[in-house]
Amino acid sequence: MSVESDPITFSVILNRLNAIANEMTLTLEQSAWTPILALCRDFSCAIYDDRLRQIAMYDALPIHTTSLKIVLKEIARTFEGRVNEGDVFMCNDPYRGNTHVGDVVTALPVFVDGELRFWSVTKGHQLDIGAYLPSSVVASARNVWQEGLTIPPLKIHDRGEPRDDVIDLYLSNVRYRELLRGDLMAQLGSIEKGRERLVSLCDEYGTEVVMAYANAIIDYADRRMSEQLQQIPDGEYRGTCWIDSDGIDGLNIPIEATVTVAGDQVIVDYTGSGPQGEGSLNGSYATSQAAGAVPFLNYIDPDIPHNEGCIQHIEVIAPVGTVCNAAYPASTSSATIVPADAMQDAVNKAMAHAAPELVIAGSARCANVPQFTGSHAATGEAWGVMLFNGTGAQGASKNTDGWPLYESSAAAGGLKAQSLEQLELLYPIKIECMEIETDSMGAGESIGGAGVRLSLASKSGEMECITFGDGCSNPPHGTVGGRPGIGGGQYVEQRDNGKRRYVSASGHVRIAPNEFYVGVSTGGGGYGNPLERDAELVRRDVRDELISRETAKDIFGVVVTTDFNPKLDVAATSEQRSKLAQCKVNLVHPTAPAADAEGEWVRAQLREGDVFLNNPVS
Amino acid sequence: MAFRIGIDIGGTFTDFTVVDDNGAVTLWKEDSTPEHPVQAIERGLAAVADSLNTGLAEFLQGVDLFVHGSTIATNAVIQRSGPRIGLLCTEGFRDIIHLRDGFKPERFNIHLRHPVEFVDRYLRLGVRERIDHEGAVTETLSEDDVRKAAGHFRDEDVAAVAIAFLWSIVNPDHERRAAEILAEELPGTKVILSSEVLPEIREWERTSASVLSAYILPGIDAYLRKLEALLEDAGFSRAPLIMQINGGCASVEEILRRPVFALASGPAAAPAAALHYARNIDATNMISVDMGGTSFDVCLIRDGRAGMSRTIQIEQQPIGVAGVEVHSVGAGGGSIAWIDSGGALRVGPRSAGAKPGPACYGLGGSEATVTDANVVLGYLEPEAFLGGRRALRRDLAERAVMEHVAEPLGVDLARAAAGIIEVVDAGMVDAIRAVSIERGIDPRGFMLVAGGGAGGLHAARLARKLGMKQLLVPQEAGTYCAFGMTVTDVRHDHSEPLHTLTSTAEPAAINALFDRLERQARQRLIDDGFSPEQITIERSVDARYPNQVHELTLAIESPPPYGHNELRAIEHSFHREHEQRFTYALTELPIECLHWRITAIGRMPIAAHDPRPLESDVDGQPASGRVGERDACVAGEGQISFAIHRAGELGPNAVIDGPAILQAPTTTVLLMRGDRLHVQADRSYLIDIGAN
Repeated sequence: MSVESDPITFSVILNRLNAIANEMTLTLEQSAWTPILALCRDFSCAIYDDRLRQIAMYDALPIHTTSLKIVLKEIARTFEGRVNEGDVFMCNDPYRGNTHVGDVVTALPVFVDGELRFWSVTKGHQLDIGAYLPSSVVASARNVWQEGLTIPPLKIHDRGEPRDDVIDLYLSNVRYRELLRGDLMAQLGSIEKGRERLVSLCDEYGTEVVMAYANAIIDYADRRMSEQLQQIPDGEYRGTCWIDSDGIDGLNIPIEATVTVAGDQVIVDYTGSGPQGEGSLNGSYATSQAAGAVPFLNYIDPDIPHNEGCIQHIEVIAPVGTVCNAAYPASTSSATIVPADAMQDAVNKAMAHAAPELVIAGSARCANVPQFTGSHAATGEAWGVMLFNGTGAQGASKNTDGWPLYESSAAAGGLKAQSLEQLELLYPIKIECMEIETDSMGAGESIGGAGVRLSLASKSGEMECITFGDGCSNPPHGTVGGRPGIGGGQYVEQRDNGKRRYVSASGHVRIAPNEFYVGVSTGGGGYGNPLERDAELVRRDVRDELISRETAKDIFGVVVTTDFNPKLDVAATSEQRSKLAQCKVNLVHPTAPAADAEGEWVRAQLREGDVFLNNPVS
Repeated sequence: MAFRIGIDIGGTFTDFTVVDDNGAVTLWKEDSTPEHPVQAIERGLAAVADSLNTGLAEFLQGVDLFVHGSTIATNAVIQRSGPRIGLLCTEGFRDIIHLRDGFKPERFNIHLRHPVEFVDRYLRLGVRERIDHEGAVTETLSEDDVRKAAGHFRDEDVAAVAIAFLWSIVNPDHERRAAEILAEELPGTKVILSSEVLPEIREWERTSASVLSAYILPGIDAYLRKLEALLEDAGFSRAPLIMQINGGCASVEEILRRPVFALASGPAAAPAAALHYARNIDATNMISVDMGGTSFDVCLIRDGRAGMSRTIQIEQQPIGVAGVEVHSVGAGGGSIAWIDSGGALRVGPRSAGAKPGPACYGLGGSEATVTDANVVLGYLEPEAFLGGRRALRRDLAERAVMEHVAEPLGVDLARAAAGIIEVVDAGMVDAIRAVSIERGIDPRGFMLVAGGGAGGLHAARLARKLGMKQLLVPQEAGTYCAFGMTVTDVRHDHSEPLHTLTSTAEPAAINALFDRLERQARQRLIDDGFSPEQITIERSVDARYPNQVHELTLAIESPPPYGHNELRAIEHSFHREHEQRFTYALTELPIECLHWRITAIGRMPIAAHDPRPLESDVDGQPASGRVGERDACVAGEGQISFAIHRAGELGPNAVIDGPAILQAPTTTVLLMRGDRLHVQADRSYLIDIGAN
């Protein structure tokens, strides 16, 4: 029976492979211990065939979609001839094909009837990896030794036997040993689920049949991807973005993307981007490969499987030694977000020229994801938590307003924030506010998602706050005539005198007992000319205090009454809109880097006595 | 004669199921009257009384159980046809229902719209007040703020207000005081308190449950009062009961206190139906499936209890309360087959619905559906569909399958039709796997119970695929959930938070909590008219490893009082459940407990089974009801001869061997080779699934 002639079994096996990847995902999410996996869902699960081709990846983290295979290939290469049934491999080395040091890969070779047929693989971001500061993403790390423990490809199970000594070595080098042990168990549980299901799938249909259909599934994604890419006009398109900082003192590092579309093949070339920075805000080879490809996965039908057939259509070039692909031993601790998010934005800016109906405006880049640590006053026991309750928003796309709490293009909103009550129950903090910030989003025919004001204080003495991120002084761009988001920022305020220390996207500060933390995250960039937004929607946005009356009038050209439930002034709106229509509109905005480290939003907020700290180290 | 009656209002029909105390079932379908839903009930009741040769008053005097399931609340939410409402919340937190849990599904779909809330932001008003997690007031309630908010609510003419403050679950004083002020300021406006609707930690779910409750309350209040008046006028002296999402029913007062329980309650009646049929054959582990026109709903029943979920959403809004876990996929008789851009055959989730329906209905549908494929293959007899009330056009079915599937794929008609069935079956198998195998539960020890008009055609194949050995198809398959309503119990769920580790827990505090919950719940059931011996109390706890994020809800089998031994038992059962679901357990750790729950059940008397002899017993031998045979197509085998049987002519204890097709009034049962069907005393069909 030829595979091509049986589209029915094809559909059945395609769905089953997706269901297996999905079950691996649920197993990991539901049984993980730390919020970074269980809620932020900062992990991916995938199945590969014996030729290390990606066959199924379901609801994965975008930055892992086209990069997970790279580290798997390195693991297989390292152990060539020594891959045995019952082995489980581990690796986190960004210079051996991994994304960044915080991501730990666990890979299980699946044997069926004694023969290696598949790989069941998960990659999960750990809460800690033994860096010099208590975080797995340390913006100020200057090399691979400061950023944490390097795990080259190694076996943690050998022919079915756990290598307790190796696992002990790993856990001895990280903080929160018990929590991280739980997370490792959850990752191992996930790949074991994958193995069981793949073996029973082979039992049911026959191994050769399943392998043949796996092939057909790759061809299928190839056909569909090819067809979609051919609809994009051929040509060479350019886009530029800037990252705020290198994590130490470098500012406005440029990311240059040149996108060449030729038929069904795309080349994204980051040649011309700035040199690698002193801190950890550098790309790794793996993140560069994914960052260039992810925007195209957003342009295509979300139903097309992200397997080898799909992802092979995009080639990414990122010269070694640039901020996009740093040279050893530079730290790449922040690579999955900074510069990866800006690398995505640069592609979207470039493609706004080619296919404006497909692109998305700029989104938040992980600023306002503070990690707090301290100790319980009563017991002295250490506590630590990362908050996803005030993250920045998604950019708008054609006919679609952005979502709030998107966090970053790397996470793409696929994370969950912990309930405020749950946080107050588990940690000695009091959340004082969590609300939308008026006028935080980029204006447009579709508006960006709203930014959030999150403020909190410790109930148990001093606490530390560690953040990393980007996109504050260089805010999320507006596209196809839309405006940028505010960029936003964060500060620590003294209760008695109201003095504030503003802190850049990345930093490390101590918060005294008489102080509180406030983060104001950016809204997403807008899409399309704001003068084209439905005036009734603008009226409601004013009514709901998403935007101010001034913004409605000055940017959207919409005039409303001052009532609690305002009414639209049709005549004044029409007049205002024709007046504003005289102004020139940029295709993408901004087209230049920030004027200084603070950025526009912080500069406007600064009061007398306030200070701004760039990349502070505590 | 005494009756129990189940009334299920749907979009098209209002279904009546009446069971008398001999177990005889009367079914009636009345056209729904969406503008004035009680009209259909009035007409239907009169018609049912008429068909039982009695007057309406006399009939209603004989009704000792009246259970009503209504889509009125659900439709108000789905169609967003409810009134304008307000939300009073803690200042600084009015976006809790907008920000949700921060999760955006479909990461690669940048055109997905953000869900729209059921109360607009300008009517979500914060007031100064704060309570900490131990219940201490850290900022007193600003009564001025409440009065000011009330002024805005009055100006905007809101019909109901939800009050949801942070930590009201450990100290509801502020919510209660705010409600008093609203009662003064807005007399007549309905007010819902989050601490009453869902006294559980997690402000998003609690606020959402309160907002949805406020949103549906004015509508269902008016409706249920009208219903009560109608029934009283008509001579019904008891109180009607309302079907709930938790699989039981409750009094009107109870529903109006916690309206969210009335949402999405229809499919929640399925486990009651399955358990009713299973009672005679001593089955306690079942997977209930209901395959209708557009969806395939699966429920897992283990040890006689339906699986419950606390993460159910309706219109993307969480309802917070535990409901029967119904895993639903877009696979039904009307599901449309299509070829995607990569050349793969897909079925659903788009459905031809009831209008135009499958191509074979001849009502203008031209695309190929699952029902069309069943006609092409010969499984559905065109003349016998829905008991002969609808003739099916085989020619139209063939044309649809040919044009939309066979030609694009380059296969013949039979292969195309078999392919549609194979793909839709695979989707249903995956749905059953999702609630069983993927939860660490082996379905091979379970019985499949198949309801819904289309269930009987597919179920034997699904059971075989999953290695399940027995299948039960009720005779009332077509009105499966309406029937379930006549055999439900009254059920009240209550919970309280008490955050503790099993290693350091104070048993006295847990015992006091359960004592409090149980006394209140028993009193409610006694007020509903139950005697103490009819009341069953079940207990459970939300548990996790210390600092783990997600919880499992564990049943606590032994009754209180609890001591350290029982806490050890909770630990053991947690480790076991965790290992089963997630492949590992860390047995040296204690367990962290969050909410303690009770379910109070008022047991209804067990409905009798119809003992009347079936009609065609011949010489003491059960009649087989065999009326002939017909060729139908089986994938991989070609045309096979199937014996055709009619349900009306079947005798009790009759046995039918596959391959055979049994035509029953509301379903068709397809038996493959090796399958053997036994007609049960209650006229349901128990099928032993043959080996592969």
